[in-house]
Amino acid sequence: MEKQALQQASIELAAISHRFEPAGDWVIKGLSSTISQHEFVAVVGPSGCGKSTLLRMIAGLLSPADGAVEVYGHAVTAPRDDVGIVFQKPTLLPWLTVLDNVTFPLKHKYGRVSKAESEQASVLLKRAGLDGVAQRYPHQLSGGMQQRVGIVRAMLLNPDILLMDEPFSALDALTRERIGFDLLDLWQQQPKTVVFITHSISEAVLLADRVVVMSARPSSVVEDIVIDLPRPRSQQTLQHPDFAALTARVRTHIYAQVSAD
Amino acid sequence: MKTLLSRLWILLFWLALVAVWEISCRVWAVPEFILPMPSAIWQAFLDVEFNRWMAHLWATLRVALSGFFISLAISLPLAIVMLRSATIKKLLYPMLVVIQATPVVAVAPLIIVLVGTEDPSRILITCLITFFPMVVSTITGMSATPDELIELSRSLQAPRYRETWQIRIPYAMGHIFSGLRVAITLAVIGAVVAEFVAAEEGLGYFIQFSTSFFKIPQAFAGLIFLACVSLLLFKSVQWVQQLWFPWSLNNNE
Repeated sequence: MEKQALQQASIELAAISHRFEPAGDWVIKGLSSTISQHEFVAVVGPSGCGKSTLLRMIAGLLSPADGAVEVYGHAVTAPRDDVGIVFQKPTLLPWLTVLDNVTFPLKHKYGRVSKAESEQASVLLKRAGLDGVAQRYPHQLSGGMQQRVGIVRAMLLNPDILLMDEPFSALDALTRERIGFDLLDLWQQQPKTVVFITHSISEAVLLADRVVVMSARPSSVVEDIVIDLPRPRSQQTLQHPDFAALTARVRTHIYAQVSAD
Repeated sequence: MKTLLSRLWILLFWLALVAVWEISCRVWAVPEFILPMPSAIWQAFLDVEFNRWMAHLWATLRVALSGFFISLAISLPLAIVMLRSATIKKLLYPMLVVIQATPVVAVAPLIIVLVGTEDPSRILITCLITFFPMVVSTITGMSATPDELIELSRSLQAPRYRETWQIRIPYAMGHIFSGLRVAITLAVIGAVVAEFVAAEEGLGYFIQFSTSFFKIPQAFAGLIFLACVSLLLFKSVQWVQQLWFPWSLNNNE
């Protein structure tokens, strides 16, 4: 805790509440949390508890009905340049090659892509093991590869904060684990604050520094568990004596929410 | 090899059909003014000078294609505007439906009276009939863009016109081309309807005057020629899609 207090807060969620209609039911009610710079935070919770809504509020795509979202001390009122998003589906553009998909954010934001930027994209693709498919089209790639392209695309603008909305949920278990370690590699090479939404408890414990457990609707934070497993994480982490205990702890809190429902 | 074989079968099927037609006409001695034999139709086709055919073809194509492209040039911006503004959509959509619901055959004589007997009136009639499928398919396609792509665009704070040009329109291409395939055949219908009302040239006009002079084999020749032209235009739209927009054929996510 002491270490965290010294670090700069990256994302500050101050008693945020949200509902989609003025008199509707609260989806999120009085949620508060602080995320430090370059921290990897996983968010878990029962389905429908507003995890994606929370992510969209941090991204500036949605304004909370009440409370405030701050990034580096500034209230979030619109999407920021230093925030990258990886969606549940790869959301690649089918008419662009993999390389053009990766540089698409630049083309879309500024209208052009410089040669240096294009080369930077190639470097990132190579690092993600995708250099062989740079000129292919998305439909020629497996689901896992498509999602990796989605991650590389989010990395290109080198965002300081990476928001991930159940990015691996459409993948099979094996691919999922491998791509998770790939993500940790990238994260260690280029430290970033990561907010990682998942419905897999073991994935959350395996990847994150901290697991935030959300309650059922109207949701708030019920538990905030520090995962002090050694880094770098690997297959061995799964065998670590604390791993099972931590997973069990997260699970207990989620199940408490589901049965209270 | 397999496609070649299946094509051969299709060709054989059509040849057999023509043969059955020819034989039935001969066996039952069907009068020529009721149902002419394929051989008589072929003879009638050859009897008309090549230059005459080309003149009629050009007259119809000119109207059909002008109408088609003018319609396209109007419907795309209109679809974008209607997608952007709910108010404009509410104002214009009922009008489009009314235009579409009114049979163009019924309006055609009035348009000739209003606009005149030259090409412009015929092109206008073609526009009226091709317009609706183009606007509707473009709007449907642009609205079908996945939410995540729109969120990606918003998270980048890209200008709205780029959201339209770089995401929505390319994404809508599959839908737009379904609309264009319908519209190109309607364009031929529009041109022919206009020629039925007022024209001195064109395949529709040719069929009409052949019928009124009881030159039934010649009318059939014109009809078959017209059908071939229509089919070729339909295929051309497909070729353009395959050549320049191949992704739009398989993006049923």
